[in-house]
Amino acid sequence: MSEQQQTLSIPSLLLLAAFTALTIRYFFFTKPSATTHRSNPRTANPADVEQVATMFPQISRREIIWDLQQNGGSVAATTERILARGGLDAPPPSFQPPIPASVTPNTAGTSSGQMKPAQVDLITRYNLGSKISSPSSTPSEGIGGQGGSQTQTWSNNKNERQALLQKRREEMILNARRKLEEKERRRP
Amino acid sequence: MASTIASRRLFHEYKLLTSQPPDGITAGPVSEDDIFLWEALIQGPDGTPFEGGIFPAELKFPKDYPLNPPSMRFLSEVWHPNVYPTGLVCISILHAPGDDPNHYEKASERWSPIQSVEKILISVMSMLAEPNDESPANIEAAKMWRERRGEFERVVREGVRRSLGVR
Repeated sequence: MSEQQQTLSIPSLLLLAAFTALTIRYFFFTKPSATTHRSNPRTANPADVEQVATMFPQISRREIIWDLQQNGGSVAATTERILARGGLDAPPPSFQPPIPASVTPNTAGTSSGQMKPAQVDLITRYNLGSKISSPSSTPSEGIGGQGGSQTQTWSNNKNERQALLQKRREEMILNARRKLEEKERRRP
Repeated sequence: MASTIASRRLFHEYKLLTSQPPDGITAGPVSEDDIFLWEALIQGPDGTPFEGGIFPAELKFPKDYPLNPPSMRFLSEVWHPNVYPTGLVCISILHAPGDDPNHYEKASERWSPIQSVEKILISVMSMLAEPNDESPANIEAAKMWRERRGEFERVVREGVRRSLGVR
């Protein structure tokens, strides 16, 4: 378990390093002329940019950075604006902020958040194809009989517990499917 | 050390949830070798377009659980104002206190160690029944829910049928 903790912290350390590097780069290597004409010369905090980008993956980082810089770096205000108007103003073409190269490590770090949910159905996902009774014949018997009754659910044996949990999952899905099929059939 | 406390607490919650499962909820670790990753099945609440559906979700617990809440992500498509297109669930009980820069949520609604996996799953179930329009995670779904309720319900029902492999 401690090993896992170790591996978990490495990507976050990398991320932190990437952000720091970016911040430094941002402060020291942006042309001053690019910032001086703005009412608020504050540059957007990369962490804020990431926060907004995570919430709204459909909005480009360039637009987020622009909006944050316009409103003085308020994540709340930018979020509010996206929610109210469904998007942000397009920044002027001359506005070319250093789009975080950290986009890549970041997606790796929050991979679970970036992944799209699988579009497979539950029968495929839980490998229940063989346990589906054919829709036209005897839909209510078999699994349904045990499904409602309170059978043993907890065991002191690890493997047995795992098997019981698995069985409860399968029953829940198969029950739901059977009910839905019955409902469909009753429909004219 | 912290992770020992977390594993013990998670195991305890697993046992409770298994011995007295709340209606329409099955939850437990994917494998007991890693007690920090759970999979839950949530049944769609009756009287809602989610009725009859089963929605699998993954819960990832931090090593300092229960100080911090787990994250929860639906593993199948869930068309809902408070579920990000990635499946990530956005409700107050999953937010650590002091986590809300927008002050949408009262501190009492947010995560604290006195909450539990069971409370999270029950909250998510009621969230399915009653979307929170204030801070949508899926803007499109929120818009549809607000403006074209009939279409919203149709999309959800189709998703339920598709997920159970009934055409």
